[in-house]
Amino acid sequence: MSIETRPDDAEMTERMSSTLTPSPMNGNGPVDSATAPHTLRINMGPQHPSTHGVLRLELELDGEIVVSCKPIIGYLHTGTEKTMENLTYLQALTVTDRLDYLNPMGNNLAYALAVEALFDCEIPERAIIGRVLLAELTRLNSHLVWLGTTGIDLGASSVLLYTFREREVLLDFFESLSGARMMTSFIRPGGLADDFTDDWLQGVSKFIDDLPARIDEYEALLTHNPLFKDRMVGIGVLDGQRALSMGVTGPVLRASGISHDIRKARPYSGYDQFEFHVPVGSHGDSYDRYLVRIEEMRESVKLCKQAIAKLPVGPVKTSDRKVMPPPREELGQSMEAVIHHFKLWTAGMKPPAGEAYIPVESPRGELGFYVVSDGSNKAVRVRERAPSFANLQALPIMARGGLVADLIAIISSIDPVLGEIDR
Amino acid sequence: MTETLDQALDSLTLADLEHGTSADGIDFVRVPVDAIPRLVDAVIGAGFGRFIDLTAVDEPRRADRFELQYLLHSMQDQRWLRLKARTAEHAPSIVSQFEAANWYEREVFDLYGVLFDGHPGLTRILMPDDWDGHPLRRDVALGGEPVQFSDNIS
Repeated sequence: MSIETRPDDAEMTERMSSTLTPSPMNGNGPVDSATAPHTLRINMGPQHPSTHGVLRLELELDGEIVVSCKPIIGYLHTGTEKTMENLTYLQALTVTDRLDYLNPMGNNLAYALAVEALFDCEIPERAIIGRVLLAELTRLNSHLVWLGTTGIDLGASSVLLYTFREREVLLDFFESLSGARMMTSFIRPGGLADDFTDDWLQGVSKFIDDLPARIDEYEALLTHNPLFKDRMVGIGVLDGQRALSMGVTGPVLRASGISHDIRKARPYSGYDQFEFHVPVGSHGDSYDRYLVRIEEMRESVKLCKQAIAKLPVGPVKTSDRKVMPPPREELGQSMEAVIHHFKLWTAGMKPPAGEAYIPVESPRGELGFYVVSDGSNKAVRVRERAPSFANLQALPIMARGGLVADLIAIISSIDPVLGEIDR
Repeated sequence: MTETLDQALDSLTLADLEHGTSADGIDFVRVPVDAIPRLVDAVIGAGFGRFIDLTAVDEPRRADRFELQYLLHSMQDQRWLRLKARTAEHAPSIVSQFEAANWYEREVFDLYGVLFDGHPGLTRILMPDDWDGHPLRRDVALGGEPVQFSDNIS
């Protein structure tokens, strides 16, 4: 921009004041100037190390106290839902990895379940149990990143070194299974992309056996650490009723004392065959959200162990040839198999017209893909119900009346992933 | 349909609402768009007290092209319920009944251009404020967006 076209100071001032006008949008309502006479409006983000992505917060501060907080999102909007409408069903699966990039298998699973609901196809038992194993490993992966970054946000930077040690092993498992560390696209409509090898299962089994001792290590660093507790206990309280009315789900809701987990409420992918309990907090503060997630990691370990023990022998792909291609060896003998193979890899799968939304419990809460089909090879509408979107909407309630420094702790205790908020 | 939900629907004078079950096993009810707040009251009474999701599906060839999809949840029965309402442009806001709907209505406005009457501050949420148009409409094509900040490209 050249000097001549630069807006003059008066215009800049007007622009600034128009963008910073108090707004009732943040759920707190306009601030009463009589009660908050000396407030300062400042901007936090979108580029800020503690915002876990590109989140911008418009803060109104009275000294160090947050009077109001307005999250402004959209900086990471890449039009994924529009993109998915323009891809075939299998191509669109690769986009789901990139939404919540800490939970790629969970997103794959939610999308695959919705597409399978349209087809109403049988999924082999090995794929169903294998999906639980993968979803829980991904939950561990997500919670490990959350724990490490929460430590960093509160100045306990060594926690990240420990959690990323385990996360690297997990990502190596994902890489050897699917070929990609994060963008796995491994759980597909109709089953899994490939079978597990025995070596892989043994490796995971050993990792899972070691993990509880590692979780004890993280807890030794944080759970009874007085500095950590000072920053977490009683901070960012969200009571259960308000959490329900704000549409909050996942660990944030459970920390507020509401026992609601989709894995129990509406079991999908065989979760009803597993034994696990749902950790619930009572205070609704940042510390309870921390404790709930730590307990969830221990429950995930149990689920992984059960899944490996239960994993039956058999195929991992559905025999429905309208969804998954036939095995290679059939192509030499069956003309029908060749036709199915050709149609699937050129036109793609064509679910019957209809709509489906299967909610699943992601590490952040209720996740689901609402898929509308008109019978063609591309969806009319794919919509992701992103748990972080609703959870972040409740941030102003938790932040109000707290310190700016506590806001950092509150954001990390919500564990938002901007990739799925902005989509 | 649960009995309480059936009773709640019967108590409304909305005769012959189209309803059924989708492929995912979730019941749906299709209502005239003006009746959304009344129906929301009724289904809250039937236990569907949690707002989960709001989105829209666009069918440009239809006069009332946008079909709003409200997804509600009942904690007591652990059931989901979908309300559908078609509109050409305007829809009543349900933020006074579900505060969680605030950002969702802004998103549908932003991406589809549906105006929610009575919303406390209907502004864009994902797209930039000066964006022209509503990108998730089916008649907006992929590509062809002008590149921003391209002053110095020769």
